[in-house]
Amino acid sequence: MGKRCVILAAALALLALCSGCVRPTQPEEFFQLTPQSVADRAIQTRMFETADATELLSASAAVLQDLGFEVEEGVRELGFLRAAKERSAREYGQDITRVVVWILTIPLIMGNSLPVLIPVDLHQKIAATLVARPINPDATRYEVRITFYRVVWKGEGLAGRDAIPPGGQWMEMIREPKIYQQFFAKLSKAVFLEAFTL
Amino acid sequence: MMSRRRLGGVGLILAAQVLVHGCAPKPSQELLSPTEAQLKLRAFQTRTFDVKDRQRALRAVIAVLQDLGFIIERANEPLGFVTAERFAEPDYSQIVGVTITVRAQEDGRILIRANAILKNKPIEDPKVYQNFFASLERSLFVTQE
Repeated sequence: MGKRCVILAAALALLALCSGCVRPTQPEEFFQLTPQSVADRAIQTRMFETADATELLSASAAVLQDLGFEVEEGVRELGFLRAAKERSAREYGQDITRVVVWILTIPLIMGNSLPVLIPVDLHQKIAATLVARPINPDATRYEVRITFYRVVWKGEGLAGRDAIPPGGQWMEMIREPKIYQQFFAKLSKAVFLEAFTL
Repeated sequence: MMSRRRLGGVGLILAAQVLVHGCAPKPSQELLSPTEAQLKLRAFQTRTFDVKDRQRALRAVIAVLQDLGFIIERANEPLGFVTAERFAEPDYSQIVGVTITVRAQEDGRILIRANAILKNKPIEDPKVYQNFFASLERSLFVTQE
């Protein structure tokens, strides 16, 4: 009896957890700062000891170009740059998983269903927004913050009898510190200054 | 030369067209006027801040949008506005957009107005704007150090 209770409790807890996971975000939550924002800001920001904002911005555009980006928009007075590049998002791992899952779910045909076909990532756009702003009153120190994110478009798939149409998309902020370190290393070299973390 | 019957038929069709178009609704005179809901909305979309520099206020707005995970689409310094968007995660088919204008007032204070849009309709929940201005205040006071 005791064991059954424990299992039931565990199942209910799992159910509560799962239903909590699919709760849609309320609009007001998009405008609230979270601890994640602080962590993100730390890896995305570096400080440079220079008074020449224009040179910093121009060098940033050059580094982005070097990394294969196309600079789409720039506003000098605000130190703002926006750049993007498009690439194929296909990964071998995903294709292999797709085939394996399809093979493993072939027995579903006997249950009057169809094998499962996972949609794979097809195409992605990687974009960056960069802002350089002064952090002391006489503008001799500038803080550069860059945010990389990617939008991925998925191909089609099949789950049971429901077809997953192509064109579904998802987006993620890139949080891999190495990518930001690589960018700032290049920028540091381009302006002959050291990039300090705040 | 068309037969009489055919001519009559064409005439009937033409008459029907005129009638239908005559009944079609014309854009109302009130199309561009703000609705009452919109006037109420203006109140909580707007705040004034005690910041000396309009440019500093603009930079703080951009910084807070980056903190909130928004993607800055457009920024214009002389005109003082910023547009940013993000996906309404986990629903990647919807976009949350926000346009913010920063204007200097006569008394030296800065007027900031934020228009947030979800699913192509303006967001009317005051809590959304409260949260935004609270986050913006934090960003402003950090930059004033």
